[in-house]
Amino acid sequence: METSTPSTSAAPAPTSAATPASRAFAVPVRSTDTVQAANLIEIENFDFYYGAKQALFDINLKLDDKRVTAFIGPSGCGKSTLLRCLNRMNDLIDGTSVKRGKVTVRGIDINSRDVDPIELRKRVGMVFQKSNPFPKSIYENVVYGLRIQGETNKARLDEVVEKSLRGAALWDEVKDRLHESGLGLSGGQQQRLCIARTIAVSPEIILMDEPCSALDPIATAKVEELIHDLKKEYTIIIVTHSMQQAARCSDKTAFFYMGKLVEYADTRTIFMNPANPQTEAYVSGRFG
Amino acid sequence: MSPAPVAPPPQKPFVIQKARTRFFGLTLDETIRAFFGGNALMAVVVLALITFFLFREGSEFFGQNRESITLYRKAGLEYVDQMRAQQESHTALTRYLFDIRLRAAKHLTEEKGLSAADANAQLASLDEFAGRYSDTIEPVRGMVSELTDVAVAIKEKYTLSRDAEKERAQFIAAGMAAEAAEVKIIPVDFKVELAPLVGMTPAYVEAANGVSTAITALLATPPTVPAPALNARLQRFQELNQQYIASFPATQKRLETWDYQKPVPALDTFTGFILGKEWKTASFWQDWYGVVPLFIGSLMVSVIALFLAVPLGVGAAIYINQFASAREQRLVKPAIEFISAIPSVVLGFFGIAVLGQALRALSQVEALSWVPGFPFAERLNALTAGCLLALIAVPTIFTLAEDALNNVPRAFKEASFALGASRMQTILRIVVPASLSGIVSAILLGLGRVIGETMVVLLCAGNRIAIPDFTAGLTAFVQPVHTMTGIIAQEMGEVVRGEIHYRALFMVGLVLFLIALLINFLAQKIVRKYRVSIG
Amino acid sequence: MSAVSLPPVNPFAHKPSRTQALEKFVLGAFRAATYFILLCGLVVFADIIIKGVPTVVNGFKTTAQFPYVTNTFLFTAPESLYVFEHQGQAMEMGDKDYRAFREAAEAEAVAAGQPAPKFKATSYVYSAGGIWPCIVGTVLLVIGSMSIALVLGVCSAIFLNEYAKDGPVVRFIRLAILNLAGVPSIVFGLFGFGMFVIFCVWNVSLMAGWFTLAFMVLPVVITASEESLKAVPKGFREGSLALGATKWQTIRKNVLPYALPGILTSSILGIARVAGETAPIMFTAAYVVRDKLPWDVEKVGDFFFQGVMALPYHIYVVSSKIPQNEYTARVQYGTAFVFLAIVGLIATASILLRNNLRGRYKW
Repeated sequence: METSTPSTSAAPAPTSAATPASRAFAVPVRSTDTVQAANLIEIENFDFYYGAKQALFDINLKLDDKRVTAFIGPSGCGKSTLLRCLNRMNDLIDGTSVKRGKVTVRGIDINSRDVDPIELRKRVGMVFQKSNPFPKSIYENVVYGLRIQGETNKARLDEVVEKSLRGAALWDEVKDRLHESGLGLSGGQQQRLCIARTIAVSPEIILMDEPCSALDPIATAKVEELIHDLKKEYTIIIVTHSMQQAARCSDKTAFFYMGKLVEYADTRTIFMNPANPQTEAYVSGRFG
Repeated sequence: MSPAPVAPPPQKPFVIQKARTRFFGLTLDETIRAFFGGNALMAVVVLALITFFLFREGSEFFGQNRESITLYRKAGLEYVDQMRAQQESHTALTRYLFDIRLRAAKHLTEEKGLSAADANAQLASLDEFAGRYSDTIEPVRGMVSELTDVAVAIKEKYTLSRDAEKERAQFIAAGMAAEAAEVKIIPVDFKVELAPLVGMTPAYVEAANGVSTAITALLATPPTVPAPALNARLQRFQELNQQYIASFPATQKRLETWDYQKPVPALDTFTGFILGKEWKTASFWQDWYGVVPLFIGSLMVSVIALFLAVPLGVGAAIYINQFASAREQRLVKPAIEFISAIPSVVLGFFGIAVLGQALRALSQVEALSWVPGFPFAERLNALTAGCLLALIAVPTIFTLAEDALNNVPRAFKEASFALGASRMQTILRIVVPASLSGIVSAILLGLGRVIGETMVVLLCAGNRIAIPDFTAGLTAFVQPVHTMTGIIAQEMGEVVRGEIHYRALFMVGLVLFLIALLINFLAQKIVRKYRVSIG
Repeated sequence: MSAVSLPPVNPFAHKPSRTQALEKFVLGAFRAATYFILLCGLVVFADIIIKGVPTVVNGFKTTAQFPYVTNTFLFTAPESLYVFEHQGQAMEMGDKDYRAFREAAEAEAVAAGQPAPKFKATSYVYSAGGIWPCIVGTVLLVIGSMSIALVLGVCSAIFLNEYAKDGPVVRFIRLAILNLAGVPSIVFGLFGFGMFVIFCVWNVSLMAGWFTLAFMVLPVVITASEESLKAVPKGFREGSLALGATKWQTIRKNVLPYALPGILTSSILGIARVAGETAPIMFTAAYVVRDKLPWDVEKVGDFFFQGVMALPYHIYVVSSKIPQNEYTARVQYGTAFVFLAIVGLIATASILLRNNLRGRYKW
């Protein structure tokens, strides 16, 4: 079933928290649950192909501004593909094409001809599954995006580095070795460096493609904390394999299966009483 | 907890459309892309340019060659050559007779133990016969040499008049009419010039008939050879002579029907190049540009090189890939790669300075005289060049074959081992067949390297332009040869730009280019097939 | 399993058989092939080194001025060698020395009131002096052609690896590159002669040689560059693009810097090829002999349009155009040794650096 209901209908207060026994985790109640948010991204009747193979089938989805949305689903269900469509990273793969439908960000169709993917990516940042700091110093990693936009003012760059690293909760750990290689950091630190690098160009939306899949639990916790802080300023869309993570950090969750959107609702709803039996099966760990 | 109405957050404009600076309708990035694309096209452009320039310089060859062959006919050279052919067949027969005499003498001195003087005495009758036989052709010989001079004179006359025409054309082109008028052109009327030549036909026919009667008369009393083993040869000599005499009427007919005006078909100049068995330049008589002797030379050195390099290269690849320890691999692989860095001119020098002599010395060792072609006298020959080319081909074959072996999935090998096959069985029955097309394409690429190699063959192949005598079997492989690459390198510096010889060298280059492309194409085709088969 | 219950015959024991002997033999043959190849290479090297080193070593002379040491073989131009007898002594001298010696001897004789001594000398061209102009020429040829080849090759590789999407055009380009690699060097020589020397009217010149050699090594450089570009992880590109960098910014800042060391090292192999080939420069750039050194030109423009002497061509000349004997062997082996040493050093550097680099760059 496709839940294209506008998310403005706030979820009912969690009175009867009849958590099924199969859920080993709790879904916290958030203040944002009750606050209406504007739609930022709208995806309508979206079909996507890798060559002749259809990867996404008729996706309809409206994503909220300044919220965390999680995409969950088993491997190969198209969640990462959809994520990469949001900043047109799929352009880089040979043979991909959008056959039908559109994705609009603040009402602008991002696949239209007069949209510059470069400008789009400046607004829609991305953090990858495998942390990929450049083999440069930490400082240079963070200012990379600004440098390529032509920023040369040293004072401004310094300011952005501190702000971004603080924003990524990394400042205290690296402030004394800003000019050492970014490759010398631990895995979790590298991933947070990538996040700092992304927020340095002050995007509006941050896409995260399984950002914690290569991290240990402590590093994961730090990144999740960071996501929680970041949503004050940014719209975050996160693809994750871990249902606990989706439950912990996201406000809304979309469940994908076989290239189709199965259910999209408040995270509490998805995890506590999903409407679709497939969703129920997946979140309770019966498959996937 | 009623939802409080929240004012929509202040939105900053979401600008994702941006007009970029455009040059000729391209953005900066597209311009850069076009720039790199242009560079990548360079490979295609170079290939096209090579083809174009080889054609540009070479294609006129056919026209010029046709002209040359036409002149050959018009000036009567062709006519004289028919007579000469008859004379040369006779010379060949005389040589055959002398060969019999040589064998007889050898038989007498070595087997019968006679002294040289005694042997000569025994052979006196044969000698007399041979002398008389070789004299029978004299009337024809004298006539041919006379006519040769006539024909050459006509050719020269024509060449002079053509040069004068060219000179006048140049003056006219330069706008110097007075000078142009001064250039004297003596036109050549071939019919008139040829009259004495053609007029000789009856006399020649008569002379030829005289030869034929003389031979018949002579053969009626065949000589006796003191060695019975040689009687068969003498018999054969008789037969050959009968065939020779039988060919007389045909020659006569050709001479009588010969027409200097018969046009030379355009195709003849092409087939004359591709199938021509003679490459003869700067001769006073007639230049021939036939690529066959050069092609055979190239092929022969390549065959020798591959014959040596394939077992060595593939064997080494199998050893290094399948048997050698990791340390051995680390040492041997770069060492063999390093051999490929030896410049070919250094190898050629090594061939001249050391290998040529060494091989000759080796061939003269008594114990090795059973090897076909041993001993040989020429220091520089196809074998010397072939050995050095093998050293050039080995690293190529080794590296590529080793790659091919490396690409065989481990699972194949493991499956074979698990069935109880030994290491050698696994390699010979599983690994090598699985990588066979890779190995074959490695060999082809090695062939490509060898056939295109210049300096080694130029320095070491002996540079004799003739089709080796294959009647003697494998000894052909120790004869000096000339190659396609060698001829270009050797003669390019000496030819006049724009002349037919110069064009001919470009045509040889074109043939070489096409052969290289063909070899490459085959190698790629095989590799592609091989990729599919491994999956 | 106790020892007692073991059957008397071990079913897994080695069984001697003919196949085993055969296997050993085949293995031996393979090993022999390997080491025979190495032996052949070694013989060539050893011969040229052993006979060539003395020429270079004997060339060392002390001089009056700085730097006090020079090498007459490496740093002088080739001359004719004169072999003659003087006052019952066999002597051999280079052209200049011989003339000076002769004049001095004649002057001496005149001063002493004796008839001028007669000199009967046999001369061997190029057999005295050194090979300095050839070394200079080869270095110039290598520098020029590699610069051209690197620019063209790296740009092509960037296009093929970064920009191009698989399609008929790209497949055609790759096919062309593969085929270009198989074109015989003499055909490149002919092509260079037809295009640069005649069509562009550059005559026999450095420029003509540069372009001919550059086109010849182009496939080597492209392949090497593409390999190095492929070694740069995809994450670098994605990370940069996701930050809103343009493709070119990404390549310039985040791909090329990491691929460049690899490109340069692998291209050294191209240098060995360029330095080692004779056929392409025979008609396009090489002179048999030239008195002036390349920088000895009136106008700067002339520099590019002059022919040069080159080591490989000089070896060809001295090994084919002059007789093989004790007087000429010195210069022949000396030149071959110096050339082999230069090319060998380049090749060794390439192989070592490549192995080193493979270990160093692990992203």
